[in-house]
Amino acid sequence: MKKSAEERIKRLFAEYPYPPIDVIIPILERAGRGEKELESQIYEIYCNLAKGIKEIMSLKGNNMKTLARVWEVATSAEGMKMQPLELSESKFSFSITDCPMIHVGKNVSTNVKGKFCDIVCTAGSRALMDTVLAPHKGICAWSKTLIKGTGKCAVTFELVKAK
Amino acid sequence: MSSLNKPLIIISILLVAVAVAFVLSWQTVAQSVGYTDLTRALTTTTATFGTLIGVITAGLMFTQGAFSRLASELNEKSPTYLTEVLSLEKIQSIAARLAALRKTFTQFASTTTVKEERDLYTRIAIKASDLFVDFAVILKLKLRQQGLPDTDLLVSEMDSTLYDVYEKTRRDIKKEWQLLNIIKRIVDAWEGQTAFFLETTSKPALKADLKNSIAILKLKEKVDQGSADIAKNTAKTLNEIDDEFSELSKRFHEDRIPQLLSQMVQASILRGRYFYLTLSFIAIPLLVNLIILPQLSQATATFFQPIIWATSLLSIIGVVFLFLYIYKILNT
Repeated sequence: MKKSAEERIKRLFAEYPYPPIDVIIPILERAGRGEKELESQIYEIYCNLAKGIKEIMSLKGNNMKTLARVWEVATSAEGMKMQPLELSESKFSFSITDCPMIHVGKNVSTNVKGKFCDIVCTAGSRALMDTVLAPHKGICAWSKTLIKGTGKCAVTFELVKAK
Repeated sequence: MSSLNKPLIIISILLVAVAVAFVLSWQTVAQSVGYTDLTRALTTTTATFGTLIGVITAGLMFTQGAFSRLASELNEKSPTYLTEVLSLEKIQSIAARLAALRKTFTQFASTTTVKEERDLYTRIAIKASDLFVDFAVILKLKLRQQGLPDTDLLVSEMDSTLYDVYEKTRRDIKKEWQLLNIIKRIVDAWEGQTAFFLETTSKPALKADLKNSIAILKLKEKVDQGSADIAKNTAKTLNEIDDEFSELSKRFHEDRIPQLLSQMVQASILRGRYFYLTLSFIAIPLLVNLIILPQLSQATATFFQPIIWATSLLSIIGVVFLFLYIYKILNT
C-alpha cells in the first residue's frame, strides 16, 4: 500500500469504528433486546468499510479474490492476524487467532458469546459479500472455536453457485 | 524499583547506611589491623574510587552537555505553542467542550447499571477532566506570557480535587520547555500513542473511547426509539475537538517534540537521584581518605583505623547506588 492509501484507510476506519462488542453485549444482555439493531449497525459499518477499501485500493472485481483482498486490508487495519487457508474462484477460507468476541468478559456465558458471534459474523460477512460480490451470491460459515477455547477459528466464504 | 523512587525510602536507606557504617566501624576499633594492611587498604580504595569518580564525572559532563542542548532546543520551540498554535479562543473553546463532555459522561456513568458501560463513561469523564486541567494550566501560562490579567475562568469550574491537580501541575512547571510535557500528555491522551493502525498503549485514547460511546449511544437510541441527539451531539463535539487537536498534533510531530522530550527523559535519568547518591557516597569517603593518606603513620594508624573502616563501608554503599543507577538506566 502506498503511504497515501494507508492514510486514507486509517481515516476510513476512524470514520467507521468497530463497535465495542465487549461493552455492547452486557448492555444488550441486560436489556434483553437490541440484537437486530446491533446487526444492522455492524452491517452498515462493514458496507461502508468494504466500499471505502474497494475505492481506496482501486479494486474493481466482484469476485472471491477481491473479497479476499478487501478482507486482508480490513483485518490488517483492525490489527487482527489472519492466516489464509484457501483461495479459489469460488472459495476463500482463512483462520484467525483473535477476534473481538474473545475479549468479552468472563461473566458472559459461552452460549451468549456464541449467539452474539453469530449476529456479528452474519452481519459483517453479509455486508462484505453484498458489497464485493453481489447480494445473495455467497455464503459464509465460521467455526466458533475461539470462543470455545479449542483453537483457531476457521472462516469460509463460498459462492452459492459452487455448492 | 518504583518504590525506591520515593524520597522517604531513599532517606531511610541513607540513614540506615550511615548508622550501620558507624556501628561497624565502632566495633572494629577494638580489633587491631597492621599498619601495612591499613595503608594498602587505604591506597587501594582511594585509587579505585578515584578512578570511579573520574569516570562518573566525565559521564556527568557529557550528559550535562546533552541536557543543556536539548533544554535550549525545547526552550526555543515552546513559546511558539503559546503565541501561535494555541490562541486564547482555541484554549477556551476546547476547554468548554471538555467541560461539557465531563458533565455529560459523569451523568451517564451515574445512571447506568452495566459495569462495562459505566467503566467506559467514567474513563471518559476522568480523561476529559484531566485534559480540562491541562488546558487550564496552559491558559494560565499563556496569560502570564502575554502579561494579561488572570481570569480564573476555567479554575472556577473545578471542584477541590481537580483544583489540587491543577495547582500541582502548575507548580511542577519550573522551566519554560516543561509546557511541552503538558502538550504531549494532551496529544497522547486524545489520540493515543499509535503506530500505523494498532494502539501500542494499553490505555485507550479519549478519542477511541468517545467513538465507542457514540456506537453504544446510537445503538441504545435505536433500541429505545429515543432521540438521536445525544449520540449526534457527542459525535459533533468529538469532531470539533479533533479538528482543534489535529493542527496541534501535526505541529507537535513536525517539530519532533516527542522525540526531544524522550531524549530529555533519558538525560534527566542519567543525572537523576541515583547518580548524585553514587557521586556523594563515593566522593565524600574519597575526600576523607585523601585527607588521611598523608597523615597516616604507625603512630596514627590506631587513631585513623575506625575512620578508614567507616569511609570504606560508605564507599561500598556508593557502589550499591552505582549498581542501582546502572539498573535504572538499563530499565528505562
